[in-house]
Amino acid sequence: MSKRISPDEHGDVLDWLYERGKRRAAEAPGFDADKLVSRATAARDAGSAGFWSVLNPTEREHFESAARMREFAPGTVLMREGAHAAEVMVIRDGWTKVVLDEDGQQRVIAERGPGDLIGESGTEPGNVRTASVIAAGTVRALVMTTSGYAAFIADHPGVPDLVKKQTHDRRTGRP
Amino acid sequence: MPQEPYRDPVSLVRSVLGDLSRAAYGLLGHYADAEDAVQNGCCKLVMAWPRVAALATAGEQRAYLIRIVVNEALQILRDPYRRWEKLGADASGRAVLESSFEDEIQAKDDLRRVWMAISDMPDMRRDAVLLRAAGYEYRDIAARLGIKVSTVRSHISDARKQLSRTLPRGWEGAHQ
Repeated sequence: MSKRISPDEHGDVLDWLYERGKRRAAEAPGFDADKLVSRATAARDAGSAGFWSVLNPTEREHFESAARMREFAPGTVLMREGAHAAEVMVIRDGWTKVVLDEDGQQRVIAERGPGDLIGESGTEPGNVRTASVIAAGTVRALVMTTSGYAAFIADHPGVPDLVKKQTHDRRTGRP
Repeated sequence: MPQEPYRDPVSLVRSVLGDLSRAAYGLLGHYADAEDAVQNGCCKLVMAWPRVAALATAGEQRAYLIRIVVNEALQILRDPYRRWEKLGADASGRAVLESSFEDEIQAKDDLRRVWMAISDMPDMRRDAVLLRAAGYEYRDIAARLGIKVSTVRSHISDARKQLSRTLPRGWEGAHQ
């Protein structure tokens, strides 16, 4: 039965929302803290948003000359969870999904698109991929070996801090 | 005596997880959406951990995370393409919508305007209103946000006035 509540009476929309919220609270689901944080960590490590935009023209030129452009068909696995980390990529066109395998189910934890760097957390010796990266459509990316990326960072040591700052600012807007 | 700050994100999330899921589900009423809101909040927490770790007390850290999660829930509520925001539906979606189709559409539109108006409120008022809308009592909101109960009352009172201007003809479409 439809019911009208005037703001002049005892209730209003906020009271209605409060009552609804209270009813729902009784059925609030339980989540797994370890899983939530491990997904968040994998999403953080999956790559740096806006990497390309923090590079100056010279740095971009150096990156392009040390990398090769590749095109990936939709559904291609660019990086596989648990695999040895041999490359980093900068996405130039298209979007990718960062996914975790949770008991055989794919869980999308992040998306990465134009300008984003993926795979940098695997550049430490012996590191393996903490998540898979899959092309959501056709993707064009600059692909560089991890040793090539290490050399690039050695030549441009200010880049990681700029990327970190940009990523942090984007992801932690408020509060 | 204030509790020492948490030293890692998992301990913080674990300590406040009951509130996170309750607040997110109270606002969203949908398991996957609530999980997304909590997950996105955790992603932001991990990104901001160096800053959160430096907060003076555990209470401040908990408040920070709760505020992130209710704001993530608000982002989902504001999404015009969100399909499952059905007025009158209870937590499990059992309730029957008995009004006419036009009333339902109008009420849905009104509710979206309410979420937009809440989005435009100053930070602390918005957070207090979101916890209220999630079904929290004033004293619980005060405890979660680390503010006085009188401050919560004042925020909610101001919010009521603001929302009554958003829906000047009153609130129609609540199906109880």
